[in-house]
Amino acid sequence: MIRMLAGIILAAAPLLAAAQGAPATVSAAKPLVDCMRANIPSSVQVKEVELISRDRTGGERQLRGRLYATNDKDRVKAMLKIGSPPDLAGAAYLMKEGSKSDEIYVYVPALNKVRRVTGGNMDGPLWGTDLSYNDLKQVQNAFYDPNAKLEGKAVLDGTPVQILQFAPQADQASRYTSIRAWVEPKSCMALKAEFYEGQQVVRKRFSGKAADLKQSGPHWYLADMVVADLKEGTQTRIKVTGVAADKTLADRLFNPATFYVGN
Amino acid sequence: MQRLTRWIAAHPLTCMAVVLLLSLLAFVTVYDLHDGRLRLKIDPTIERLLPEKGDDRAVFDRARETFGDSDAVLVAVALDEVFTPDGIARIDELTRRFGELPGVRQASSLANVPNPLADGDMLEISTFGAQARENPERVKDFPAQIAANPIYRDALVSKDGHTVAFSISLGELSEEDFRKQDYTGKIRALAVEVGGSDQVWITGGPVIKAATVDALLDTLAFTLPAVLGLIVIMLLLVSRSVYGMLAGAATVLISLLWTMAAAVLLDIPINLVTAIVPPLLLTLGLSYAVHMQADYYAVRESSPEARVQHVLSKVGPGLFLSGATTVAGFLALMPQALPAIQQFAGLSALGVTFGMLLTLIFLPSALRLQRQNTVRRPLGERFFLVQARRLAVFDLRWRNWIIGIALLTVPIDLYFASRIHVGTEYIKSFHEDAEARRDFEHINQAFNGASIVSILIETHVNDALTDPELIGQVESLQHWLRRQPEVGSVVSYVDHLKLINQSLNEGDPAYYAVPRDAAAVKQLLVFGGSAEIKRAIDSRFRSALLTVRINVDSSAQIQDLIQRVEERLGELKPPLNASLTGSPVLATRAVNAITSGQISSLALASFAIWVMLSFMFTSPRAALLAMLPNLLPVLLYFGILGITGISLNPTTSMIASIVLGIAVDDTIHFLARFNADARAKGNETAAVKSALASILRPVTFTVLSLCIGFLVFTGSELKNQVQFGVLASFTLFVAWFADILLTPALGSKLRIVTLWDLLRLDLGQSPQHTIPLLSGLSLRQARVFALMSKMEKLHEGGQLIRQGDLSRDIYVVVDGTLEAWIDRGGERKTLATLGRGAVIGEAGYFGQRRTASVDAVTPARVLRFDSQDLERLRLRYPRIAAIIFRNLNRVQAERIARTTAMLQ
Repeated sequence: MIRMLAGIILAAAPLLAAAQGAPATVSAAKPLVDCMRANIPSSVQVKEVELISRDRTGGERQLRGRLYATNDKDRVKAMLKIGSPPDLAGAAYLMKEGSKSDEIYVYVPALNKVRRVTGGNMDGPLWGTDLSYNDLKQVQNAFYDPNAKLEGKAVLDGTPVQILQFAPQADQASRYTSIRAWVEPKSCMALKAEFYEGQQVVRKRFSGKAADLKQSGPHWYLADMVVADLKEGTQTRIKVTGVAADKTLADRLFNPATFYVGN
Repeated sequence: MQRLTRWIAAHPLTCMAVVLLLSLLAFVTVYDLHDGRLRLKIDPTIERLLPEKGDDRAVFDRARETFGDSDAVLVAVALDEVFTPDGIARIDELTRRFGELPGVRQASSLANVPNPLADGDMLEISTFGAQARENPERVKDFPAQIAANPIYRDALVSKDGHTVAFSISLGELSEEDFRKQDYTGKIRALAVEVGGSDQVWITGGPVIKAATVDALLDTLAFTLPAVLGLIVIMLLLVSRSVYGMLAGAATVLISLLWTMAAAVLLDIPINLVTAIVPPLLLTLGLSYAVHMQADYYAVRESSPEARVQHVLSKVGPGLFLSGATTVAGFLALMPQALPAIQQFAGLSALGVTFGMLLTLIFLPSALRLQRQNTVRRPLGERFFLVQARRLAVFDLRWRNWIIGIALLTVPIDLYFASRIHVGTEYIKSFHEDAEARRDFEHINQAFNGASIVSILIETHVNDALTDPELIGQVESLQHWLRRQPEVGSVVSYVDHLKLINQSLNEGDPAYYAVPRDAAAVKQLLVFGGSAEIKRAIDSRFRSALLTVRINVDSSAQIQDLIQRVEERLGELKPPLNASLTGSPVLATRAVNAITSGQISSLALASFAIWVMLSFMFTSPRAALLAMLPNLLPVLLYFGILGITGISLNPTTSMIASIVLGIAVDDTIHFLARFNADARAKGNETAAVKSALASILRPVTFTVLSLCIGFLVFTGSELKNQVQFGVLASFTLFVAWFADILLTPALGSKLRIVTLWDLLRLDLGQSPQHTIPLLSGLSLRQARVFALMSKMEKLHEGGQLIRQGDLSRDIYVVVDGTLEAWIDRGGERKTLATLGRGAVIGEAGYFGQRRTASVDAVTPARVLRFDSQDLERLRLRYPRIAAIIFRNLNRVQAERIARTTAMLQ
C-alpha cells in the first residue's frame, strides 16, 4: 500500500532518504557514497509516473499517477495519487517519515475512508508489484552503511561503473544478506542493484540504462527502471514521464484529512 | 529355416564375433568413454509419468504458470507451547530458516502471516510474529483471532493447539534435486534444531514423490543383484557347468546391454516405470537360456555342431514363438495413454526380441565352442520322466473332468472379478511404518487434509472476477465444497477480499462481505492485497485459483470427489469456466486411464497371440483351444483380485497382459512338441504322452526361474511392487499348473492330425514325388489338393468300383492292394493289381461307365476325389487343376498304351 509510495520515490529520486544524513564513517567507498547523497534533491519534485507490472504469464497491469514529494526538515513526505485506470483513480497514499517510525496512510475512494496503516509485512509486495517497502528501505538505508565497500570498477553495458557492496543494518529486519550496486560515477546513480538472499542468491534485481539517466536541474534521476523478482519470475517497470522540480507545494497535500476533498 | 540353423551351427565363431561387435557398439552407445559417464538418462521424476498433453495437463500447467506450484511441502512440528511469546519467536525463527533454504521460494507459518487488526481509523497489518515481539501480551488473543479467520482456521495450528504447520513453497528446485539433496532430511533437521522438538512430520507432493523414488531405486538396487544371483544358480543347476553358466549369463547380460543401448538411441529414460525393465528382462532372458541349455545338454549327437543343429531345430520354433507372444503381450500395452507405459512396453518388447535372438544365435554358438561333446544326464531327468508318464496317464484318464472343472472356474472367477475395485492408494503403497506414510497420516488427521487440489477459474476477460455477481457464484461454489466430506478447507480470493473489507471497516464483522460494486472490489484487491493474494487471483483479475485441502488419498475416493466437483463446476454460468486440477487429480485420471485400457490391452494381446498360434497350428480352432489354458489363469488372477480386495491399479493392471504373453510360452512348448509328435505318429493321444515327457522338466525349471525372479520384487518397500511380484508369480504358477493338466487334456481332444499328415506319414515326406496324379505339384500345391479329398477304408474283399456303373469318382491308393478285373461271361478276368500311389477310376471322371470292377485284396485305404472336388479345384486353384488334369491325361494315355500293348 503506502509502501508503494516509497517505491515510486525511490524510482523517481533514488537517494532521497539520504537527506537524513549519513553516519560519519571513513571508508574507501565514502567519496562515491557522498556523491550519491549529493544527488538527492533539496527541494520538492513532482513526477508523472507509470508503473507497469508484468506477472509470470506476461499479463500486464498499468497504473499511472502523480507523485508529490518534499523534504521537510530531513523528513521525507511523499504522496502519490492514482490517475488511471479510472476505476482506481483517486486512490492516494501518503508516507511521512518519522523519527521512530514512518506514518503511512491509504485512501480508498470506493470506501471513502482514510486509514492509517501500521506494521505490515515489510517484505510483502506493494500493489501487486515487485517492490516491497523493505526493498526500498534497504536501498535507501544501504547507502548509509558505514561499512560500505568499494569492490572495484567494471563496465556495465558499455558504461564504466563502480561497484559498491552494502550490508543491511541489523535493525532493518531485512531478508537480504547483502546488496550490490553498480554506480555510474558521473551521475552517481546506481544503474543496477542486486539484492542477495541466503547464500548469495540474487532475489531481486533493479536495473536501468545509462541512456535513461536524466537531469532535472542539477539532480540526476533514472527515467526508466525495471525491478525483477527472480524467484517469482515477475517484474515491474517504473517510468518517470515528466519531472518538475523546485515546486512550491501546499502543505495540505500531505495532510490525510484532505484526501476526502474532491472525492 | 533349416539352412539358417545349419549355418549357425557351422559358424559359431562368426556368430559370436558379430554379436560381440554389436555389443561393443552397444557399450559405446550406453557409456561415454570420453566423459566416463553413462549416456543412459535416469529420470526418476513422477511428473514425467503423467500425460504430457491433453486438456487436463494444459489446465494444470496454466494454473502452475499463473499461481505458482501448489505442491508445497507441509511441515508440522509439535511444540510444548505455541501461544507464548517464546513459542511464536521460535516459530518465526524456524520459518525464516526454512525460507533461507536454497530453492525455497517462500515459507509461511503462523509467525509471518499478517494479522490485520482494525482500531478506529488505524489498521495494523503486521504479522503475528511482529505483534508478539512488540507486545507479548497480545499473544493470548491469537487463538481467537486465528479461529475467526477462515484462511488461517485449522491451517496454521492443529485443533488441539500443540502442533504448528509450516508451508514451504519451492521455486526452481527440480524433483530430482529435492530428492538428491535430501531436502526432507534438511527440513527435518532444521525443525529439530530450531524448533527444539523431536516430533516433526513432513509431507506434501515433493516429499512423497522423493520417498517413492527412493523406494523404487532401493528396489532396483536390490532386485538387479538378486536376479543376477538367481541367473547364476539356475544356470549352474541346469548346465552343471561353469562354462555353460557363463555362456548363459553372458547371453542374458548382452541382451540387457543391447536394450539399454536401444533406450539411449530412442531417447527413452530409465524412469519409475521403465526401471522395472532390467530385472524383468533378466528374468525372461534367464527363462530362455534355461530352456535352451536344458535341451542342449540332453541331446545325444555325434558332434557339437550336430548337437547345435538338433537343438535349434527342436527348440528354435517354440522359442521363437514364445518370444513373439511375449512381445505381443508387451506391445498390447502400447495403446495406453501414458508415455511411461508406452516406453515400458516398447523397451520390454525390444529387450525380449534381443533376448530371444541371442538365445537362438549367441548361446548355442558359445556352447558349441565348449568343444566337449559330453552328454550330461539332465538334472532330475528320471524324476520328471516318471512324473510326466504318470501325469499323462492322469490327464488322459480324467481329461473330461479336468476340462469340466477348468470351465467351471470361469463363471466363479468372473463373479469375483466383478467385485474388483479400480484405483490406487498412493500413500498406502508405503509400509505402515514408513516415515512418508506416518507423517502424511498424522498431518492429514491433525489438519483435516494433507493433499491439495485446485480449482482454476478462468474468464478470459480482464477484471471479470471483480464483478460481485460472479464473485457470488465463486462464493457459492466454496460453500458447496466445504460441505463435501473429503474437503478439509477451501481458500479463495473471495476470503481475502472479505477480510480486507472487514479490516478497512474498523474490523466490523458486518463488513466480512463482498462489496457491492466492482470498482470497490478492485480497489480493495489492488490496495489491500498481500503476497498471499497472488496465489489466489491473477494481476488482471481474469483468473483465480481455489485451493482445496482434501483429507482422502485413494484414487477411488478422489475420483468420486472429482465427479461431484465437475458436475458442480458445470453449473457455473459464463464467463466462468472452472476446472479441477492438481497432482492428485492428474494422477487419479492417469490411474483410471491405465486401468480402463486394461480390457483393450488384454484383448489385443489375446488376439495377437491367437493369430500367431493359428499360423503355428494352421488351425484357428486349435489356436483358440491353446489360448484357453492361458486365459483361465488370467481370469483366476482377476478373481483373486476380487476376493482379496487388491485393487486394479497401474501396477496390477499390467500383470495380466505381461503374464499372458509369458505364460503362453509353456503352452507353445507343449503344443509345438505335441503338434510335431501327433503328425509324426499320426496319433494325438500318443503325442500327449511324448510331448509331456519332453517338456515337463524344462518348462518346470523355466517357470521356477520366472516365479523366483518375480518374487524378488517382494523385497520392495512399496506395496504395489510387492503385489506385482507375488501376483505375477502366482499367476505364472497357475498357468504352469494349467499347462501340465489342462493343455494335455485339451490336446488329446484336438484333431490336428490332418489327412496330409497321414499321407506324408504313409507315402513319405514328399507324396507328390510318389503319386503320379500329384506329379509336378509343389509340396504346398499337393497339400492343397490332398486336403480336398476324403480318406476311405476298405476291408479285405470289399468292392471299390463295380463294372458298368456310372460314377465320376477318382481314387488314389494310400496303402493295401487292390485288383482290377472284368467279368467275361461270368468269368473273372484280372486286369491289374494296384498298390500304393496308383490312380483308379479316371475314365469314369470323363463320363464313361466303369470299364472294370476294383476290389480290395487286402485291407486298404484310398483317397477319393469326386467331380465336385475337381470342379472346386478348377475354380479356386486353376494352376493346380491344370497340372492335375494333365496328370490325369497322362495316366489315361499310359493306360491306353498299356491296353493297346496287351491287345497286340
